[in-house]
Amino acid sequence: MMTEIPDEAALALEFDVFARRAGLDIPADRRAGVFAGFKDLRRMLALMRQPRTAAHEPAGTYSILSVTRGL
Amino acid sequence: MTATKLFELSIAEAGRKLRDGSITSLALTEDALARIIAIDPALDSFITVTADRARADAAAADAEFAKGIDNGPMQGVPYALKDIYDTAGIRSTCHSKLRADNVPAADSVVETKFKAQGGVLLGKLATHEFALGGPSFDLPFPPARNPWNREHIPGGSSSGSGAAVAAGLVRMAMGSDTGGSIRGPAAYCGTIGLKPTYGLVSRRGVFPLSTTLDHCGPLSWTVEDSAIALQVIAGYDPLDPASVDLAVPNYLDGLGQGVEGLRVGLPRHFFAEAQDVSPEVVSAIDRAAETLEKLGAVVEEITLPDYELFNACGRVIMYAEAFAIHEQDYQTRPLDFGLLTYMRMTLGAFITAVDLHQAMRLRRELSQAVNLQLKKYDALITASALAPAPAFADIVPNIPPNWPIQTMPFNVTGNPAMSIPTGFSASGLPLSMQIVGRAFDEGTVLRIGAAFEAATGLSAQRPALAEG
Repeated sequence: MMTEIPDEAALALEFDVFARRAGLDIPADRRAGVFAGFKDLRRMLALMRQPRTAAHEPAGTYSILSVTRGL
Repeated sequence: MTATKLFELSIAEAGRKLRDGSITSLALTEDALARIIAIDPALDSFITVTADRARADAAAADAEFAKGIDNGPMQGVPYALKDIYDTAGIRSTCHSKLRADNVPAADSVVETKFKAQGGVLLGKLATHEFALGGPSFDLPFPPARNPWNREHIPGGSSSGSGAAVAAGLVRMAMGSDTGGSIRGPAAYCGTIGLKPTYGLVSRRGVFPLSTTLDHCGPLSWTVEDSAIALQVIAGYDPLDPASVDLAVPNYLDGLGQGVEGLRVGLPRHFFAEAQDVSPEVVSAIDRAAETLEKLGAVVEEITLPDYELFNACGRVIMYAEAFAIHEQDYQTRPLDFGLLTYMRMTLGAFITAVDLHQAMRLRRELSQAVNLQLKKYDALITASALAPAPAFADIVPNIPPNWPIQTMPFNVTGNPAMSIPTGFSASGLPLSMQIVGRAFDEGTVLRIGAAFEAATGLSAQRPALAEG
């Protein structure tokens, strides 16, 4: 997903494509509620994307120490 | 002067009376069980009441007191657990049809610690389904209600914990907090709610929602009682991948030290400029800042990154991790989840690996920004909920509610954060703020909270329903 937020029709198409790709069979009576959440999620995904350098390592980096302790 | 009723005794007060023999654990327990029978039908805060277990725990505690054995501050004191904490031999449902008959073979680490001290388990408390979807009326158990006004929600997901503590059914109840699920109910119900630093309290045996955001912590009527509970449950667990191996300080030591000379940062833009903020919330936090200044603290306005960045970062991580945890059930029996859980959980299926990675990168930046401020300040104060508890009638059918609450930032960063009452709205519902500390510096958070609590006297005000 990119930084721009598409219009309602494009969002609906994107929603259906993502749902199919994930193998979801969303009942018709639940679609409006899930789609409302999807629109908000889409807004948040766009907001999150900011210029970062390759050196910006994520939180939660894999730690061999935490995996092996307690064994 | 009115005599203090048994339910009004804090853990510390009850502990003193248990030790001087002026009350017994059995008396405390019978009083609590009677209150649950009388009051809880109006609140639905308990899913399971473990009356037989409680009486046996109480009798065992009294027998140990009689022998001069003292296992710690929870000995003989009733408590309750959110129903996502495993309890050996006792149903642990997650408030869900999917686990309505689940009886764990082993205790969660937290339950093990309370049990070892001789605490008295009163029962298991209502939650939003799997700590995610609610308040809902399509689950096997009804949603908990707010003791200050039953037509209003108690917040979630530790909804039963907040309601039971505020109603005086139990002094301390455990909750869990992934995006605000301890501090939200504490804010709406007018209790203390402490989310400790990520890694301080073991999550083993607590059903996960989002493993990198999940925290376990207490809700209580007083700051001191949360400090006592934290003292019992904090500590390293090598089998919890997030647990941190640090010495646990004495959280009670600083409670009477006041706030003279402490530096407190106030990111007022966080809440005062938010779209859905209630002027009553802003005024109450401004008054709280003045109170802390009168007590000798230095309060200065600071700037943090935009709240919406914290919220986006936390929600993307939470939805992705929750979907990963529930994927098998979601794919094989999706309609066994309640409607709100289904709608929230489905969002996790739309998040790509790149989205999640971007969120994790952002998480580090936001954590650094908060902790940079905490190099200059001993603590921060900011809003918990942006408005008093909404009414059940405010819920729009078939649309997941999105209540205005600003707790997610400190799940993203992992810093300790405690919700504490600041007053009441004109409608009689509690208002609140958060006190946020440096990582593993719960002592300062509790110290500020205790000083503020003593200055305001708000813990003397109970909901009318609690008085019977």
